[in-house]
Amino acid sequence: MSAVGNIGAGRSAASERVRAAFSFLLPLFVLLVVWEATVRIFDVHPGIFPGVGPVLRAGAESVANGTLFLHIAASFGRVLTGTTLAILVGVPLGILMGVSPGVSTVLTPLFRFFSVLAGIAWIPIATLWFGYGFGAITFVIFNAVFFVVAYNTLLGVSGIPHALRNAAWSLGADRKTMLFEVLLPGALPNIVTGIRTGLGFAWRGLIAAEMIATNMGLGYMLFLARDFYRTELIVFGMVVIGILWLLIDRLILAPLERRTIERWGLVR
Amino acid sequence: MKSLSIRNLSKTYFDPYAGKHVTAVQDVSIEVPEGEFVSIVGPSGCGKTTILNMVAGFLPVSGGEIVVDGRAVSGPGPDRGVVFQSHALFPWKTVLENVAFGPKMRGVGPKEREAIARDYLALAGLSHAADRYPNELSGGMQQRVGVVRALANEPAVLLMDEPFASVDAQTRMTLQEELTRIWQERRPTIIFITHDVPEAVFLANRVVVLSKGRVLEEVEIDLPRPRSWETLIEDERFKTLSSRVLQLVRSA
Amino acid sequence: MSAALSVNPFLRLWSGYLRLVARRPALGQILPFVPLVALWAGVVEAGLFPRAFFPGPVDVVRSFVDLTWKGILPAYLEDSVVRLAVGAAAGILTGIPLGLLVGLNATAHRALWPILLFFQAIGDIAWLPLLIIWFGFGLETMTFVIVYTVLFPIVLNTVLGVRSIPLDMHRAAQSLGAPKWRIVAEVVIPGALPNIITGLRNGLGYGWRALIAAEMIVGTSGVGFMMFDARRAGSVVEILLGMIILGLLWYAVDALILAPLERATGRRWGLVAQ
Ligand SMILES: Nc1ncnc2c1ncn2[C@@H]1O[C@H](COP(=O)(O)OP(=O)(O)O)[C@@H](O)[C@H]1O
Ligand SMILES: [Mg+2]
Repeated sequence: MSAVGNIGAGRSAASERVRAAFSFLLPLFVLLVVWEATVRIFDVHPGIFPGVGPVLRAGAESVANGTLFLHIAASFGRVLTGTTLAILVGVPLGILMGVSPGVSTVLTPLFRFFSVLAGIAWIPIATLWFGYGFGAITFVIFNAVFFVVAYNTLLGVSGIPHALRNAAWSLGADRKTMLFEVLLPGALPNIVTGIRTGLGFAWRGLIAAEMIATNMGLGYMLFLARDFYRTELIVFGMVVIGILWLLIDRLILAPLERRTIERWGLVR
Repeated sequence: MKSLSIRNLSKTYFDPYAGKHVTAVQDVSIEVPEGEFVSIVGPSGCGKTTILNMVAGFLPVSGGEIVVDGRAVSGPGPDRGVVFQSHALFPWKTVLENVAFGPKMRGVGPKEREAIARDYLALAGLSHAADRYPNELSGGMQQRVGVVRALANEPAVLLMDEPFASVDAQTRMTLQEELTRIWQERRPTIIFITHDVPEAVFLANRVVVLSKGRVLEEVEIDLPRPRSWETLIEDERFKTLSSRVLQLVRSA
Repeated sequence: MSAALSVNPFLRLWSGYLRLVARRPALGQILPFVPLVALWAGVVEAGLFPRAFFPGPVDVVRSFVDLTWKGILPAYLEDSVVRLAVGAAAGILTGIPLGLLVGLNATAHRALWPILLFFQAIGDIAWLPLLIIWFGFGLETMTFVIVYTVLFPIVLNTVLGVRSIPLDMHRAAQSLGAPKWRIVAEVVIPGALPNIITGLRNGLGYGWRALIAAEMIVGTSGVGFMMFDARRAGSVVEILLGMIILGLLWYAVDALILAPLERATGRRWGLVAQ
């Protein structure tokens, strides 16, 4: 559709993107100004809420002494490990369960229950089973993503029209072709939606778990700063968490979801 | 019902991709006396919707004026009822509530507006569907409700933009016959837009042929009423008029 | 063909189950838990793990009865539910008007949309350290977190809903003589309602996770606190009990509030598939 409109519009599309970015950032810049002005005019105590300057300084300091990157690396390591494991286990399991209508009839309610619980509710038992640290937090992330992804894969596979599967059989597809050419692509939009939702839970679970159960990571960084009433470091950490999630969501998850869902016209 | 005059109407759009202004409607004048049924035909993209949207007040005009009932219009208003191709019924209101919407906006009380709505529903043979929601109706019934909803507000003119374009052929014929019947009963002033030549000829007293944003010609349709497809389909006069309009449209 | 004469008993049982479930969908939601619980009990009885570390269903039920009898569980449950309800109500009451404003007014949209996205991305839980400095370990902290969590999905979805109403709908109302405020009441709000309910569903889903986290980190009561307190005492039974209660609580919210709302709005109007 847009192909027609885009003819001869290459140049204006680029400048359009710059304008869009600018109009997105402008309100945030205004917010920054309002924040600084508020702190100055009302002479807010830095222990209650810091100005822009101290926050930037705290940020620069944590970049310079390398702690910020250590915390980010720790958080990302956990998210990456937990999410990868969850996808590697959740997707095949979801497909297996979804192929047979009977099996999915039985398992759907179970997975629904566990995806309702996914994430934060597992923190107490995870820390008991695995102790404080990498294991417990990765487990929380794993199950935040796992159940949601498996449940969505199951929904996706069982939602593939029977006519489509029959068509593939009658065209002589064997089991392998069936899996890779029909089931996986057919369920992909659901899988991607599952990953996006699951990661949303996992990211919050991560921050919560790091506040409770570790000595490394962004959540811990915030909670440690609280012990010393270093609000400027807390606010800096919050901004970092916000930016990181926006980047993950807007640059990876949203485009992925859009591509699979919109490209194939599988709009829901 | 009152008259409508469109005087020297024009419209230019700004095309952001081409970076220039495009003229969609140019110096169009159409007179619709009270109680007349006028069809506007023309190929796709000739500016029909643009004209109707300006008359309805949805789009600002670039030049000329539109006078309804002796007053120049600016912006949408209840004096001009609109029937949409997409039916545009409110999905969250029942059929009855949809039809009663106009009277409700006019401040008519609950009892009275229900009576008005039921009266108009009966006119279109829809009494049985009063309590259903629009998505529970067939496409043809949805369009009927759309027509009746506009009529129930007793507008000075009724504006219809290809309202029957997306229903099946059989239903469309029925709807056309019903519309001519309703027109004869109530004599509303109607502008009916279509790209379908037989439809335009079947319905109207006069067909305005549009080409590239201008009026190409007006054709009087002096067919007797009541009109039905059964008789008109073999009618020589209908055939002559249709082929004349068709030629005009194709030369456009 | 002859198989029809001697269907094996397992298959017969199976088809009986499928027919039963087709007739009574509610049973289909419950019965699958029976073998799961049995398996759980089996593993526990087999003694693979120390019982204190991995207690069985009977232990959980016993602790449920015990805690209910003592009045601890009902009190904690009430605390959590009231917090969630108050937070959700505040989130709805501010979220919908804000969403309508941002959805209807282009200037408000330009100015507020990026800010909304950013604050949503920070996430509720990241506010906890700052909130604890401001309010201490108290109710204000928890309320703030829940309102914050519920608010954003409602605002963002309301905006989406408002913007997804077809232009013809506005035009139809205008040419039927509706003034601006009536279009908001009669067209915009009902048209956005299915999205608003989706926002409520997401908001409650996130909100009550945030509640649990907040109760663990700052709490002095509530189901989350109970679970974390049990963790400190090494009582796995109470943790499991807490998890099951949280799961059931969500089912109750879904069945009693969300599902009926969805059925009465989007489904009935044909705006939502299924
Ligand atoms: N919003 C718009 N911006 C720019 N050009 C438009 C716009 N709407 C319509 N046009 C152009 O105006 C012309 C007339 O369109 P329209 O009135 O929709 O025609 P019709 O209804 O007869 O098919 C077309 O060439 C169309 O491309
Ligand atoms: Mg048109």
